[in-house]
Amino acid sequence: MERLSRRDALRGTLALGAIGVAASAMTGCSKVLQQTTAARHTPETIELPQEGDISPTVRLLNRAAFGPAWGDVAKVEKMGAKAWLDEQLQAPTDDRAETNGLQLRLATIEAIHSDGWELRDIPDVELLRQLQQAAVLRAVYSQWQLRERMVDLWTNHFNIYARKQDGFTTPYKAVDDTKVIREHALGSFPAMLRASAKSPAMLFYLDNQKNKKGVANENYAREILELHTLGVHGGYTQKDVQEVARCLTGWTIEERPFWKIMKDGDKENPFRSRGSFYFDEERHDKGEKIVLNRKIPAGGGIEDGEKVLDIIAMHPSTAKFIATKMVRYFYGTEDEATIAELAVVYLKTKGDIKAMLTHLLLPLADDQPPKGYAPTMKRPYDFLVSALRATNANTDGDKPIQDHLEKMGQALFQWPMPDGYPDTTDAWTGSLLARWNFAIPLVQNKIEGTGVEVDEKIKTDTLLERLFARRAEDSVLTDLRTAIVKHTPVEAMGLILCSPAFQWR
Amino acid sequence: MSEIQKPWFTCDGNGTSPDTAPRPTTRATRRQVVTSTVGAALAAWFGRSALEDVAFAETKESGRDILVVLFLRGGADGLSVVAPYAEDAYHRNRPNLALKAKEVVKLDDFFGLHPSLSALEPFYKEGKLAAIHAVGSGDDSRSHFEAMATMERGVADQKASASSGWLGRHLLHAPALQKTPLRAVAFDSIYPDMLRGAMEVSVVQSLEEFRLQLPENEQGKAATATLASLYQPGNDAVSHAGRETLAVLEAVKKIDPKDYKPQNGAKYPESHLATGLRQTAFLIRANLGVEVVTLSRGGWDTHVAQGGTVGWIAGELKDVGDSLAAFAQDLGTEMNRVTVVVQTEFGRRAYENDGLGTDHGLASVMFLLGGGVQGGKVYAKWPGLEKHQLVDPGDLRVTTDYRTVLAEVIAKRLQGTAWVNKVFPTVSPTDYLNIIKQG
Repeated sequence: MERLSRRDALRGTLALGAIGVAASAMTGCSKVLQQTTAARHTPETIELPQEGDISPTVRLLNRAAFGPAWGDVAKVEKMGAKAWLDEQLQAPTDDRAETNGLQLRLATIEAIHSDGWELRDIPDVELLRQLQQAAVLRAVYSQWQLRERMVDLWTNHFNIYARKQDGFTTPYKAVDDTKVIREHALGSFPAMLRASAKSPAMLFYLDNQKNKKGVANENYAREILELHTLGVHGGYTQKDVQEVARCLTGWTIEERPFWKIMKDGDKENPFRSRGSFYFDEERHDKGEKIVLNRKIPAGGGIEDGEKVLDIIAMHPSTAKFIATKMVRYFYGTEDEATIAELAVVYLKTKGDIKAMLTHLLLPLADDQPPKGYAPTMKRPYDFLVSALRATNANTDGDKPIQDHLEKMGQALFQWPMPDGYPDTTDAWTGSLLARWNFAIPLVQNKIEGTGVEVDEKIKTDTLLERLFARRAEDSVLTDLRTAIVKHTPVEAMGLILCSPAFQWR
Repeated sequence: MSEIQKPWFTCDGNGTSPDTAPRPTTRATRRQVVTSTVGAALAAWFGRSALEDVAFAETKESGRDILVVLFLRGGADGLSVVAPYAEDAYHRNRPNLALKAKEVVKLDDFFGLHPSLSALEPFYKEGKLAAIHAVGSGDDSRSHFEAMATMERGVADQKASASSGWLGRHLLHAPALQKTPLRAVAFDSIYPDMLRGAMEVSVVQSLEEFRLQLPENEQGKAATATLASLYQPGNDAVSHAGRETLAVLEAVKKIDPKDYKPQNGAKYPESHLATGLRQTAFLIRANLGVEVVTLSRGGWDTHVAQGGTVGWIAGELKDVGDSLAAFAQDLGTEMNRVTVVVQTEFGRRAYENDGLGTDHGLASVMFLLGGGVQGGKVYAKWPGLEKHQLVDPGDLRVTTDYRTVLAEVIAKRLQGTAWVNKVFPTVSPTDYLNIIKQG
């Protein structure tokens, strides 16, 4: 991306030179113009940084995890990259296998332990704070780092703005986080898509709960095609959007009065049904529809929507779209060959996320990085979590930490638009000051609820090696190493976290 | 001759030597800009302020307006913002949502401003505010992201391949009036696409964020100097951005935006947009070399319960109207060197939906506000709202290409006759609406 836009810039410069010549002939200011054009001709290309002398294990941990925490490199090297990856792929969907420390921290968070209906009693601001806190705690401390990375990816892929309509969405999002994102993060993409389509949070966020016969609401139908499956150039038309919307009429949230639920719903526990998925036959458009050239016959019910999900989940454009997203996320590029191979894996395995991850991540542990792999800037969340891991910080993940994320531009569950936070380097270069203003108080222990212990006698080389998990002599650290040597360990640690090198993964 | 006679490169058409011309002289490369500002910043830490002459340089004589672009994200409903209150079909298509003749602020005998925008009426009457209706792009995806990407890239429709933004191209081709990283400021959480391709852009949520949290003592200064040195050598995107950030920090340190007092009795509302506009006014008055400011405001995706004179959209518009009015009042005569553009990615369906909202549509409305605007008029080739006049599935037809408005602003208010064809290659001056006074 960066290179392309720079090339544009260069092209602009050349074009400007051409105007300059034309104009100079007319006004006689050729001397100035020559100077100007010459100055602007100096190519100022932006380059990717060097990877340096990184070990394959660290490369893997930088991508498949939120960077190495203390002890991670030794652990992975001991068991071998493949065994580690296999183990990561077997992660449970809940917190039962976590360390006592993390389990204790999570135990008091109501948002991740209850169903939607019960959560309605908690004020939405408090609920959102809990959700954000749980996300940071798991990302920093979970041993299932790959699962947490995938949770981050899918949370943005199936983005839901938790504060839609004054936070009314928040309890639904709490359920969505557990039942859609975490349940399927390492499972099957089509299954996750289906869960998402029936997630009250998604139904509410993209207005499908209002979608009914005769007056279809296209919002969700469009985004499921554009952002969740085929991608905007994936080969669907405006007509397809309308037809998908018709198929999904009646897919709504159970909000009927209790006596009605008691009559034909969950008699055992009508309270639990309230606020869950509900197919309203009366609101469903039973006419014939044609979606992506496939006929969906008249007279259908909920199966119309199910068929749509089947069609789009296994569409080749979906395979390519999901592959593109994963390659960009883990490799930092949109390398066509890598995407094409991964799309084949998707189609062959019917969207098996484990198979795709094995295909994509194992080559990261080879001596040489795979084709299509390039340095990519950490998003604010990646930066914050990796800094907390690298410094072995003790954090409660609570509001002070979340406030920093917000200042960096990535408040969790608060991206209003359905495309999720951007995942390209150039979207985030504006966030440096906020990153520095996180790193500085972090090492000074000035962030409430978060602490870092710094050995006052530690050598700067040892600090560098700990924070980057690479040799201090590495060529990419030369400037940093020279610059921080005159500083105290606390300052040096802060400067390392502030440095350009720490912003890249 | 006149098209190229007054371009940026110091020549005034009479062959005046660059040595006597006030500014700009030759344009430095980006590297030079960066090195010099960081150099200045470093100098400042040691008690000198080499940046001062840059930060307080006069900009008033540049003759180039400061451009403020407010992008309403989410597809603002043009038919509620500037309502065609006199058209029968408008009321038939929207039995619940249409604004009645007696409810609107009448702009002429056909169009009326949403009552929540009444604060803007005086500027319309003074001829400083113009509305453009049935305006939009050729994008027919009706996707927020495609439509925004189309408009921010400044292209005809979603199929166009340009990757840079229209403001990015403008900034690339126009010579910087000053060497400052505050040349373009985006009050945003992420880098807006319309600025892509520009090199001196600062993305901030508030100017007050521009402080490094290091103490002002010797130790803090030493750490700051080391930080600057870490960002000096690299040629990667992060190092580039870091150098710019450090230079901006120095520039903003000169004047505290908190001390800024709005003038002419202007009262900004309490909102994110108002804060951004207030800080924009500060930047303009402080002569920090700002040329372009962009702001975003969401809240327009009114699929459900959109409201009429009260409710959802009324609340959003109230903030926009009151904030813009305060901004224009605050700047007073300074508005003669400011042009404000208000735009949105698309309008909404002519028919209300069952949720008393409106779905994604095509054409919407734009505003221009400023001393150079030929205002007091709604510019529209009105396509009509009868069923046969709408584009399937019921959308207001685009009869004015949004690019013709932006191109005219660049050509006539930003001294851009020499490069406007690099920003919008297919727009010809004969397409202009003549919505800008001849300067």
